[in-house]
Amino acid sequence: MSLTPPEGRTRAVLMVAAPWLFFVALIGFWELVCQVFSLPAYVLPAPSAIVEAFFKVEISRWFTHLWATLRVALMGFAVSIVVAVPIAIAMMRSELLSRTLYPLLVVIQSTPVVAVAPLIIVLMGSGDPSRVLITALLTFFPLVVSTATGINETPPELIELSRSLDAPTRRETWQIRIPYAIPHIYSGLRIAITLAIIGAVVAEFVAAEEGLGYFIQFSTSFFRIPQAFAGLFFLAVVSLLLFKSVQWSQRIFFPWSLPKKGH
Amino acid sequence: MTEPATNRAFVRLSGVGHRYDPDPAVPPAVTGIDMDIRRHEFVAVVGPSGCGKSTLLRMIAGLLKPSEGEVSVFGMPVKGPREDVGIVFQKPTLLPWLTVSKNVLFPLKHKYGRYSREDEKRADELLAMAGLESFADKMPDELSGGMQQRVGIVRALLLNPDILLMDEPFSALDAMTREQIGFDLLKIWEENPKTLLFITHSIAEAVLLADRVLVMSKRPGTVLEMIDVDLPRPRSTRTISDQRFSELADRIRRHVYEPDAA
Repeated sequence: MSLTPPEGRTRAVLMVAAPWLFFVALIGFWELVCQVFSLPAYVLPAPSAIVEAFFKVEISRWFTHLWATLRVALMGFAVSIVVAVPIAIAMMRSELLSRTLYPLLVVIQSTPVVAVAPLIIVLMGSGDPSRVLITALLTFFPLVVSTATGINETPPELIELSRSLDAPTRRETWQIRIPYAIPHIYSGLRIAITLAIIGAVVAEFVAAEEGLGYFIQFSTSFFRIPQAFAGLFFLAVVSLLLFKSVQWSQRIFFPWSLPKKGH
Repeated sequence: MTEPATNRAFVRLSGVGHRYDPDPAVPPAVTGIDMDIRRHEFVAVVGPSGCGKSTLLRMIAGLLKPSEGEVSVFGMPVKGPREDVGIVFQKPTLLPWLTVSKNVLFPLKHKYGRYSREDEKRADELLAMAGLESFADKMPDELSGGMQQRVGIVRALLLNPDILLMDEPFSALDAMTREQIGFDLLKIWEENPKTLLFITHSIAEAVLLADRVLVMSKRPGTVLEMIDVDLPRPRSTRTISDQRFSELADRIRRHVYEPDAA
């Protein structure tokens, strides 16, 4: 049997609706399996039980946990941008610096941050700074790499144009190289924002009194499995919204940098 | 220009050559080029791929230091990038985040960090001259390839350079656009006389547009012949059916197909 989509308007509607329909069907199937086999909630809670658990938790508590996680994720993300982009620019400008720093960056990237997280907490205490550091460590490598790639992909003719005008290097960087790197920087940002949530959650797993990661862990350890699932879905939705926000910001601020359709 | 402003050499190349590889076993890209270009003369350069046409252009632009000989403009040796040189590249290389008119103004913005109201007026005039006035506020990707390259030419004219260097500017365009933009270039050049060095792969294009055609050998690039194109101006599609046009084109073609016979 082949999945040939129908023609015209129906096809257009189906193309948009298909992923949603599939998602709803999946949830329905899940609910059905739980009901038919009467699975206990601590093995696999039914979606209806998860929804119920979600609303049992006070909205203010949700916001407290959400804010704790979001705060660390966004601060880590911001620190990562502030550190990674200048490093990438500096590395592009100086081959010596690039040769000096690159091995260190690779070492940091190859070290599982999850394993280092407890050490960072021991070193720096269990406050926000250590959590932000864990998040930043996890996110900055893809940002350095994508920024450096973008900067190096500037068409050589534009660099020649700049040199033929005898323009200062600073303007070559700001008016040509960095804007040219924007599409690449954004692909780095899209990866980094989801890693930022992972970083924040990992930090909460190690030591925290609030946050969605902490909430999931604590719910699990008290065998409140539907509540843990509710936290997990909430986290997934937040992560998805952050990812979308990065996309939206590109569409709003740098519409020219989006890949062109057709033409 | 039927009457060149001066017969003195404006751009002079004396024994100019360049090698990228210091190893003497590797032949240089270009060697022993002697050429005088008069002021406001249109010189086309043809030659096989890799014969160092672009290298030659970059040495005149001051972007590349000759490893032998010297390039001088009006008697002054070229030591680095010059203000009186405009460059048009093979690709339009417009900045995708700037509107057409901001792209035209980019050289000023890039060199000095700002531009004035008068500069904006000049950009508008130049765009109008190239028939692009209604596209001033469009983004580059809304323009066809031919229009983008016109913007590239207009951008090179902004600082009103004496010398315009064009590196295979029309090679990315389709044949019909290419012919049209060639005639447009002639019109622009006749209205704003420039000393023009035009690199091309197309023999017909070289003969149709230029006052003289420099034919280069394959690597290492040397001068095979400098051909005077004594076709009347203004040139048009009728020029192509001129007997003399085919004679000149054939003469160049002989260098390409039978390099030793010529």
